[in-house]
Amino acid sequence: MKLLCIDSEQIYCDIIALCAEKEGVVVESATNFNDAISVFKRFSPDIVTLDVLIKGGSGLELVRELKNLSGKRFVPMIFLASQTSDAVMNRCFKCGADDFIPKPFSEVLFEIRLKTHMRHVELIKEMYRKNKALTYYQAMIEREHEMAHHVLDHIQTRSENNTDHVMITRLSAASFNGDLALVKTRSDGARLAFVGDFTGHGLPASIGALPIMQAFFDAVDDLLSVHDLAVQMNRILISILPDYMFCAGYLLLISPNGEVTYWGGGMPNAYIQRNDGRFEYLHSLHMPLGILGVSEFEVNLNSIMLHPNDTLIIVSDGVLELKNSSNEMLGEDRVKELISEAYPNTPLVVAQLTVEKKLAEYRKESLQMDDITLVSLRNAC
Amino acid sequence: MSITVSVNDASLQVTIAIVGSFDFSLFNEFRAAYINLKNDYRLYVVDMSMVEYLDSAALGMLLSMRNALGQQSKIELQGANEFIKNILMISRFDKRFDIH
Repeated sequence: MKLLCIDSEQIYCDIIALCAEKEGVVVESATNFNDAISVFKRFSPDIVTLDVLIKGGSGLELVRELKNLSGKRFVPMIFLASQTSDAVMNRCFKCGADDFIPKPFSEVLFEIRLKTHMRHVELIKEMYRKNKALTYYQAMIEREHEMAHHVLDHIQTRSENNTDHVMITRLSAASFNGDLALVKTRSDGARLAFVGDFTGHGLPASIGALPIMQAFFDAVDDLLSVHDLAVQMNRILISILPDYMFCAGYLLLISPNGEVTYWGGGMPNAYIQRNDGRFEYLHSLHMPLGILGVSEFEVNLNSIMLHPNDTLIIVSDGVLELKNSSNEMLGEDRVKELISEAYPNTPLVVAQLTVEKKLAEYRKESLQMDDITLVSLRNAC
Repeated sequence: MSITVSVNDASLQVTIAIVGSFDFSLFNEFRAAYINLKNDYRLYVVDMSMVEYLDSAALGMLLSMRNALGQQSKIELQGANEFIKNILMISRFDKRFDIH
């Protein structure tokens, strides 16, 4: 640590040097205004002591100048002065002083104050270092999140979307957590859909999404059953993801006759909004994908009928947990209200846009914490 | 501290109490709470009565604990509020943990 002592009387410079050197501080001194400026620039001290009266200028002017020269660096300026009136002290602090010790001063007192200022300098240096490291990591994570978004968005482009029978809304949060929604019609006319919500953030989520996407589109080509695809997806995730990561999701197949066969794990209830206004539910009965081993994995499927003009709606928990400006979660009741107002007797595209608008109105300026995924499906026949 | 560990050697019980938001920020701290314990305990209690929010990363951390301690160890998730209990039940954590 370096100290610059500015005093017109050499004897004070010597005393201060003696005290400071005991603390392991390197000391340089200056006895007039111009010297003080040039030594400050060359030596760039961590702490400065100075007097109110200085040859060649005023201490008040000097402290202002030195604070200016310090720029963003915090350099404590300690006045050691024999003028000790309140008015003088007040002016010193106003000009940028950090401390004031009246002359003649006790060496013990000076050393204690010096140590306090040294500690502050250390703390602030430490803070700068940590801040720099944090800025670096933040930039890195932001880039990784961008990359993950990019990967997932690319996957999404292979899915059907924006038709009279398939609408997918995905709104990404500031802290990205990896929702995935895939819909594809098979050669036999049945439509396969997967809506998934990966644990974790950024890249790890997209790493799981890649093989899931591959398995999904292979299953579309090979007309693989929901049962076999669920088993396969679970096996893939068990083998590639660490034990603290998994994927909640619905996997479903809509036959041309409207029969929906589905597997659900770790997801909120999904809805069937009947065209006559009634609600029915798809229940997610299992643990999410990627938790249970091959022998434990439960794959009993459920089925429900989707009649013409009924709408099947799957929402991720990001929708239910969406908060308004008073920090209230949207919740299931309001989601159902939104759905029942939007979908019956309305073209799917129009209804979906209405719901998107309503969600944005609910949220207003509050921060969206989680990704939002809302998938709605109608039977093509 | 957001995590407090208390060990009762007489009853062979460990209690890990979590305060506030149980999320990804506690990843290392939560793992440290059970991984360095010397004995094999009869019962591990995760006290969630002071948890206000829980995200899916926390679910992952609980699964990781389950794997690290072995399927034979008894782990109780205690005191979760309705909101959190609902999250635990949606993911069917009752299959792997005792939820009270």
